Amino acid sequence: MDEDRFEEVISDLPRSFNAPPPPPLDEMWGVIEDAHFNSPLSKLTSRSSFLTTPWLAAATLLVGIGIGALLPRAKPPATVPAPVAQSAVPRETSAVADAYRDQTHQYLGQAAALLISLPASDGSKTADSAFANKAADLLVTTRLLIDSPAASRDVKLRSLLDDLELVLVQIARLRNERSRSDLDLIHQAVEQGDVLSRLNSAVATTQSSE
Amino acid sequence: MNEAELIARIIEGDRLAGRALYDMHAPRVFSLAYRLSGDPEKAREFTQDAFIRAFSRLSQFRGEAAFSTWLHRIVVTVVSNARRNEVRFGREVALDEAHSIESTAAEAEPDLKESIERAVNRLSEAYRTTLILHDVEGYTHAEIAVMLGVPEGTCKSRLSVARAQLREALAAFKE
Repeated sequence: MDEDRFEEVISDLPRSFNAPPPPPLDEMWGVIEDAHFNSPLSKLTSRSSFLTTPWLAAATLLVGIGIGALLPRAKPPATVPAPVAQSAVPRETSAVADAYRDQTHQYLGQAAALLISLPASDGSKTADSAFANKAADLLVTTRLLIDSPAASRDVKLRSLLDDLELVLVQIARLRNERSRSDLDLIHQAVEQGDVLSRLNSAVATTQSSE
Repeated sequence: MNEAELIARIIEGDRLAGRALYDMHAPRVFSLAYRLSGDPEKAREFTQDAFIRAFSRLSQFRGEAAFSTWLHRIVVTVVSNARRNEVRFGREVALDEAHSIESTAAEAEPDLKESIERAVNRLSEAYRTTLILHDVEGYTHAEIAVMLGVPEGTCKSRLSVARAQLREALAAFKE
């Protein structure tokens, strides 16, 4: 193939390479609408509604309190000279990082426990509801952690949190609906994304850095 | 109603605004997902995942890039993650077969078309994605840089290498 023919091939790619079929717009919208607007979790999706919903605000507060409790107490105003005050800044920053790491570690452990005990397709309705509620709780923390400095600094953690977010949304939806295919899809998502082994690895990493 | 107003209304939970924004972007998103995956079922799943992720993070959209670029970046991420997982688990379908069955462009010469698809799919993920975004979907280097989170110069060099490898793969092709 000569250069001119190759240029023709390149310019023809929009027409010849994987030419898409008509998109199934209504079918796709049904799934998107159900996941985003019909789910009780849809209230979690916007920051404005997130902060105005009392129980979510409470959850945010709890995470904040958790982080705060792990931080060292502020020392009384000191007669300490300037050099000590300068070194207090990195120590505080490190304390915040430690607090995020502890919260992350705790969260990852809970997420792993949830996924490990995910019921098979023939599980009971009660079990579904309990799992869905736990998933909804963890989803709140997931979204807080996604926006946290811990995730912004760690690409692998961020990717894991993104995948976990989708899996947890699916599990939380079991509260409303239930079918064998739903659970199969969740198991498939967990398996394909290698979510559990990444979770275990992340738990081990955060544990070993403590 | 413009795009910014639609976004604001979706954040408030307005599903009609959601459908309106979806209608504006879904055909291009599906096209991109299909070009990258070569499979209609996967393209459907990737499109759904991308919109679900985008809607749940609309409040994080700052308007620094066009909404379409922000959305297409999510699509590229969703597809790339899925392809990485497929490769990791050795579950990649025989893309050559899938493409020859699913593709609808009958106009191109069948043998050449098949050779092009095979050659493109043998490129590494970064080169393949850049080539498809630029030469198939028509994005500019600036848009691709935002979508892939790399400097514009990197996109240009990736495209150049991708074309060189494609040229080499097709060099022996005789019509």
